[in-house]
Amino acid sequence: MPHLDAAHRFARWLTRSPSDADDVVQEAVLRAYRGFHGLRGSDVKAWFLAIVKNCHLTMATQARGRGYVPLPPETDERDGYAMVATTPGPESASIRRDEERTLARLMAALPDEHREVLILREIEELGYREIAAVADIPIGTVMSRLARARAALKERWMAELEEQPDAVR
Amino acid sequence: MPCAETGSRLEAYFDGELDALSAAEMERHIGECAECRGALEDLEKLRRSLRRDLGFDGATPELRSRVAAALDRETALDREAALDREGALPPPRSRLAPGSVTRAPAFWRGVIAGTGGVAVVASAVLLFAAPVAINPLFNDLVNAHVRSLMPAHLIDVESTDRHTVKPWFAGHADVSPAVFDFAAEGYRLVGGRADYFDRQRAAVVVYQHGAHIINVFSWADDHGSLPNDTTRSGWHLAFWRTGNLNYCAVSDTGWDELMKLQSLIKDAGDGARTP
Repeated sequence: MPHLDAAHRFARWLTRSPSDADDVVQEAVLRAYRGFHGLRGSDVKAWFLAIVKNCHLTMATQARGRGYVPLPPETDERDGYAMVATTPGPESASIRRDEERTLARLMAALPDEHREVLILREIEELGYREIAAVADIPIGTVMSRLARARAALKERWMAELEEQPDAVR
Repeated sequence: MPCAETGSRLEAYFDGELDALSAAEMERHIGECAECRGALEDLEKLRRSLRRDLGFDGATPELRSRVAAALDRETALDREAALDREGALPPPRSRLAPGSVTRAPAFWRGVIAGTGGVAVVASAVLLFAAPVAINPLFNDLVNAHVRSLMPAHLIDVESTDRHTVKPWFAGHADVSPAVFDFAAEGYRLVGGRADYFDRQRAAVVVYQHGAHIINVFSWADDHGSLPNDTTRSGWHLAFWRTGNLNYCAVSDTGWDELMKLQSLIKDAGDGARTP
């Protein structure tokens, strides 16, 4: 199963929690093992990521059934970042790290459905058809959702860069 | 007035989802439309940044061994179930025969064929780890190569004269690589370009071989190990090191053609190195 990294990345963004992500991945691997005969075609990665998604949905539903309310993602980082320059400057590794956190934070703030298609397309390099299978939506919806997600992320990113052109370090 | 082509259709082109004919039309259009060129650059920038910044969050070693252990338990249950069905204790070795693991498809056999927990963990970790590890360098190189094929991105200094190209790098890149023209051998020098990746200004020598463009990237050796040759998204990447420089040739030519250029550059470098 050569897609454990992809499964973990995807699960991290679905669950927003490292330990939940690990649980989801483990469950998905077992389900994939048990259901391998159900795989049609050669598209193992999309098939596996679809299982990851289903595991996440199942486990999230179970968690709600137990009356468990997940903690919100870390919010106390926000103020810290506002002090850090985000001016693009590829020569500086520290500035690059700030950019990193900025993008990760902006991604985390996107609606789930936007984040999902962005991760599947830009990080996991799935095609539209595969994304449609994993997200369980028509291919036309993949296209429009991806366009909206990119526009939203770009807009927030640009706003972020403009907001703090010369923040003091 | 905003261009009607920007939006989903441009993105479908960017994502490689248009058929060849539509893609060719789109390329023509992009050549004429500054707005679409700008939108394409933004898309590329966003993708590069996302892959660079968010692409590393792979499975931890802990998760790998945890998953392998869970698989191990699962397959042990399977083996017991299989033994129960057979109704008798078979000789020990047949516990490992593929036939006894009735639910194990070929795909999993590499994981399951191990004899005990340790072996299963080891083989699973190998299976999981080997093909997945996303080397950010691959993405950088392929992205830089693809970007270079966009109109007006290929060449910064256009020259078939290596004595023009090489000095140009001195002022525009962090390294000054070997530059040769192998027109006689079928690899025409078409120019040079400065590109940014791996946190430095890399020098790119551009060769043309038949209809194919070959970008030869070079950057300073950081004494890390070079990746093995690989193929990403249909592009071949051949790595080698000469002196204190790393080289990577990227192209959609065949491997043989790429290897030939590599050996040409290596041989020429050995003969003509200047202090």
